[in-house]
Amino acid sequence: MSLCWAGNVAKLIHIKEKVLRTNQMSQSLTDLITVDCQTVSETTYDVVIVGAGVAGAIVAKELSQQGKRVLILEAGKDKDLTLAGFQSYIETFYGSADKNPNSPYPDNPNAKSPMDDNGYFVEKGPMVLGGSYTRVPGGTTMHWEGKTPRMLPDDFKLKTLYGQGLDWPITYEDLMPYYRKAEYEIGVSGDTEEQKKLGVKFEDGYVFPMKKLPPSYLDQKVIEKVEGTEVELYGKTFKLSFSTFPQGRNSVPNPDYDRGNVFVPNGVASVSTVQYGERCQGNANCVPICPAQAKYDARRTLTKAFQTGRVHYLSQAVASQIEIDPDNDRVSAIRFKRYEDPKSPQFKPGVARGTLFVLAANAVENARLMLASDLPNTSGAIGRHLMDHPFTLAWALMPEVTGTMRGPLVTSGIGTFRNGPFRHKQSAFAVDIHNDGWGWATGSPKTEVEDAVDNKNKFGKELRQTLVSRISRQLLLAFMCEMPPDFNNRVTIDPHYKDQLGNHRPVIHYNLPDYSRRTLAYTRKLSRTIFQRLGAEDYTKYDRFDPAYFEFEGEGYVYKGGNHFSGTHIMGTAKENSVVNRHLRSWDHENLFVVGAGSMPTIGSSNTTLTLAALSFMAAEEMLKDLQK
Amino acid sequence: MDINSPEFKNFIKLSAVLTGYSQFHLQGTGQAALYFDTVKKIIGQNIFGELLETFQELDSKAQNDESILIDGLRSKILSSEKFGPIARNIIKLWYISTWYQLPKEWRDTFGTEEKDETFIPSPAAYPEGLLWPTIGVNPPGAKGQGYATWSESPSVSLAKS
Amino acid sequence: MTTDNGYNLITTVEELHYYLKQAMKLEHATIPPYITALYSIQPGTNLEGFHIIRQVAVEEMLHLTLVANVFNAVGGKFVEQKDGKVQTVLTAPDFIPPYPTYLPTGSVDFQVGLGKFSPATIETFIKIERAEEVDEGKPLVVSRPVQEHCHFLTIHNGQPSDTFYSIGLFYAEIIRGLNALYKEMGNALFCGDPQRQITPEYYYNGGGDIVPVTDLRSAIRAIRVIQEQGEGSRVGAIYDAERELGHYYRFEQLKQGRYYIVNRDDPEQSDRPHQPTGESFTVDWDAVYPIKENAKLSDYPVGTEVYEAAKDFQSAYSKFLKDIEYAFDGHPEELIPAVGGMFRLKEQASYLMRNPIPENKDGLNAAPIFRLD
Repeated sequence: MSLCWAGNVAKLIHIKEKVLRTNQMSQSLTDLITVDCQTVSETTYDVVIVGAGVAGAIVAKELSQQGKRVLILEAGKDKDLTLAGFQSYIETFYGSADKNPNSPYPDNPNAKSPMDDNGYFVEKGPMVLGGSYTRVPGGTTMHWEGKTPRMLPDDFKLKTLYGQGLDWPITYEDLMPYYRKAEYEIGVSGDTEEQKKLGVKFEDGYVFPMKKLPPSYLDQKVIEKVEGTEVELYGKTFKLSFSTFPQGRNSVPNPDYDRGNVFVPNGVASVSTVQYGERCQGNANCVPICPAQAKYDARRTLTKAFQTGRVHYLSQAVASQIEIDPDNDRVSAIRFKRYEDPKSPQFKPGVARGTLFVLAANAVENARLMLASDLPNTSGAIGRHLMDHPFTLAWALMPEVTGTMRGPLVTSGIGTFRNGPFRHKQSAFAVDIHNDGWGWATGSPKTEVEDAVDNKNKFGKELRQTLVSRISRQLLLAFMCEMPPDFNNRVTIDPHYKDQLGNHRPVIHYNLPDYSRRTLAYTRKLSRTIFQRLGAEDYTKYDRFDPAYFEFEGEGYVYKGGNHFSGTHIMGTAKENSVVNRHLRSWDHENLFVVGAGSMPTIGSSNTTLTLAALSFMAAEEMLKDLQK
Repeated sequence: MDINSPEFKNFIKLSAVLTGYSQFHLQGTGQAALYFDTVKKIIGQNIFGELLETFQELDSKAQNDESILIDGLRSKILSSEKFGPIARNIIKLWYISTWYQLPKEWRDTFGTEEKDETFIPSPAAYPEGLLWPTIGVNPPGAKGQGYATWSESPSVSLAKS
Repeated sequence: MTTDNGYNLITTVEELHYYLKQAMKLEHATIPPYITALYSIQPGTNLEGFHIIRQVAVEEMLHLTLVANVFNAVGGKFVEQKDGKVQTVLTAPDFIPPYPTYLPTGSVDFQVGLGKFSPATIETFIKIERAEEVDEGKPLVVSRPVQEHCHFLTIHNGQPSDTFYSIGLFYAEIIRGLNALYKEMGNALFCGDPQRQITPEYYYNGGGDIVPVTDLRSAIRAIRVIQEQGEGSRVGAIYDAERELGHYYRFEQLKQGRYYIVNRDDPEQSDRPHQPTGESFTVDWDAVYPIKENAKLSDYPVGTEVYEAAKDFQSAYSKFLKDIEYAFDGHPEELIPAVGGMFRLKEQASYLMRNPIPENKDGLNAAPIFRLD
């Protein structure tokens, strides 16, 4: 017979193998244009961006894809853009006796990342802000947990509806299309039907790119007993109801997304990088590092920006001064300090020029940089209205083994108190069931091993049983409370406090209003009810020597920082009441955009990343309009 | 380090009794030689040798009777001022891959040969801690169990008493 | 339809089923060698080797799944009663070849075994992945000396010594058979229940290349996905149709300790074969557990912990295949937990590889056993 039908396969005696798109083993770094100070000083860019986190990456991607020439200045070291670099983060994490949110990321005195008491934040009180962010390429998305709930429509009108905080100059509806873009960019997994019940509005037929992450076994056991529990708050009865969290983590693509254009997660492609882009494997380590890279981080967006070939990228360059042209109040340049060795204070000064300038260095750093540059400050609001989500924790042992410490850190929670008439009196909050047990509260499981061996005198088989009993039954509830903007909560600077490179360290003034304290206290009452329903042994204990200890109406509590720093350059309706306008453009400097959670006038009970990502898409659109003039 | 040396074999045997894991399991972590070296270097050959000899005597006296061995371990090793802190450190080393700085009192009395501080001897040791199989989970940040496995019932349970 | 040699190839649905079963066998056959080498690498070392081999092993699983989809689509049964006996596919006694074994690459100059990550093993992997030009005039089926017998490419109803010249031809015959049977039967050929298909929902590894098969077009696409990656790798170029590095060259990077550069915008500007110019890296051939090659249960003294653990692994692997088969057999939602089983297998394999075989005079460590219980 003739073999003509076999024509194009017969030549092949290959045992097969589909080269997956994710395998970018051989992709070269030519896409990624790293430049030196010299090149930067000789180039005039369309846009100069400070910070390669999620906000900066989105702006860089959006503009470079439209043909604009972009420079990104990044304060951190460049390590993780290669496979070996990413692996070294993992190794550093494995090898750290103290495993904290920044433990994969080596200390960098020239661009220090705050961690509780590590000598970067100068905390002036009266209460402590605490918490952390990460100054590396990819920014804090390198250690974020990945929850991506939208804000509720009412969160945008807190002042009008509840007489608290501030209103936004835009509505939820204004932000809806950008939420979709952000959810696509991040690759959100979740269930829109569940979100609708919480008051989130979506366009008809919209679903998240991927299906919700399945609730953990622990979730199921808690839900079994607690779902539908009735509690009363200011005369209104609430029924506790559970739902999953939308998350920036790969699950199962939703076949109904975008009329069947199934979402495919992107990899992080760069030299010699293999990116899994896989489904969540349940590594139980979303914070601080996902070894399977199933969690979104901003390197994915950065990569797309680099692939345009129009992005110049300079790392180890810490922005230090925004220069203003006194004739027209426009930003003329950003000065930066380029260091070689994180350990050495040696640096070379550099300057970046362009048409537009974007600060995307995070709420605290943006404010610090503007203040350090002594920018005109019509509203006086730069660095003010500093917000975070304080958390209270409550922990107990379930009556049976629930297999704690499996899965992504959080899968389900209670959204019942994200909105309601009680917001006249006390702030909204959201509840997480932590799959990782008591770690956040007590340092478990490490502390449980120490206790079992050193105090309970266990060894051998008895030790194994003790650990199962003490760890595998753990339940930790985290209550994330809204905090309204307050003019006196602020990031400021003080010439007495500088870092190794001579840049100002953030000086923090922070207090919690009674509006939030009332909620923090209320959550303890609620956790008692829940534990009672579960027949769980309550081990919650607040240490009066904890710097975050406070008393409210006679009882003591401890809160934890939520790392959701925001509000330091809020958007508003006029230059007298805000730092940026509804498009995140500085009121005082026409060609300066300040992006990130610092622009948010309120933060409701939503983790801030999704909303700030949506705002970044919105701002990028405005920048494009400017550049096309 | 010779894995066939009697000293190494004794170390593994002692570790098995202290941890409640089989010698196969301990070897299976791939960390046995590292831990052997770590302990020996920090406390020094003399005390290390004494500890293993003490254990060996207990072991041969016990003649495979586990309860005798366990009693012996409590009375001669775990409650010993000299060996107790080391034995507890060996347990913690196996369970959470961390060597803990010995108590000050111990150091003042017996002295250490190497720098004695709290540390993880090797990044590769962390995912091999015995704590994780004990509670039926993967070490956070390694050896993920696969998508959606967290929804299934746990693989560990409490022994019925 | 007859070949040059006068053989009747696929003319009936039953024959098509037979060939697809063979295809699953062959797709699976390289998984044990790849994962043995993979798991023998000491954690935290040989990052490049680890990722390169891992990715290939994952792709073998994808191909197995694709064939299962075609098999289901044309009414294949994973479990069926035949002559009073239950016949299965993935859990059939001969599904796993006895290693070392010849692979159906059309080559009989090497065998594939279960060995540690080593220059020799990588050399074998390169051979597995090598591409050769074959004249179109070459026969589809050749007769080989019996001792070179391949286990997979045997001709249905042919002589034991008759095999396909290559995998490419083997799949080409499946495509031809699909076309021919479709001409005869029309859509009746695709009588399988679409609910049995593994869809991207249940399987993806970033790329999401799983193809649910419901008709001729998707069936051919599924087979092509298996074939195609190599298709572009004509002799003299390192990249394939998708402008990505061919597997042969991916493995060769390990031999050379250097990455190839593929210029995706202008493939002609890519590196020449055997002359990679990318970043160099160090391969640490010593950071590997010294495992027993092609281990059998009888290599371990009965009653020892190693023996018991090896037996446990064998059972776990058998169960893994059983679970996969169950998922293929109309329970696609069970694929996700079945793959979870693979994660646990790795742990069991590592434990074996770190344990010396008791009383082994060469000082070798144990290794996992890939046999059905």
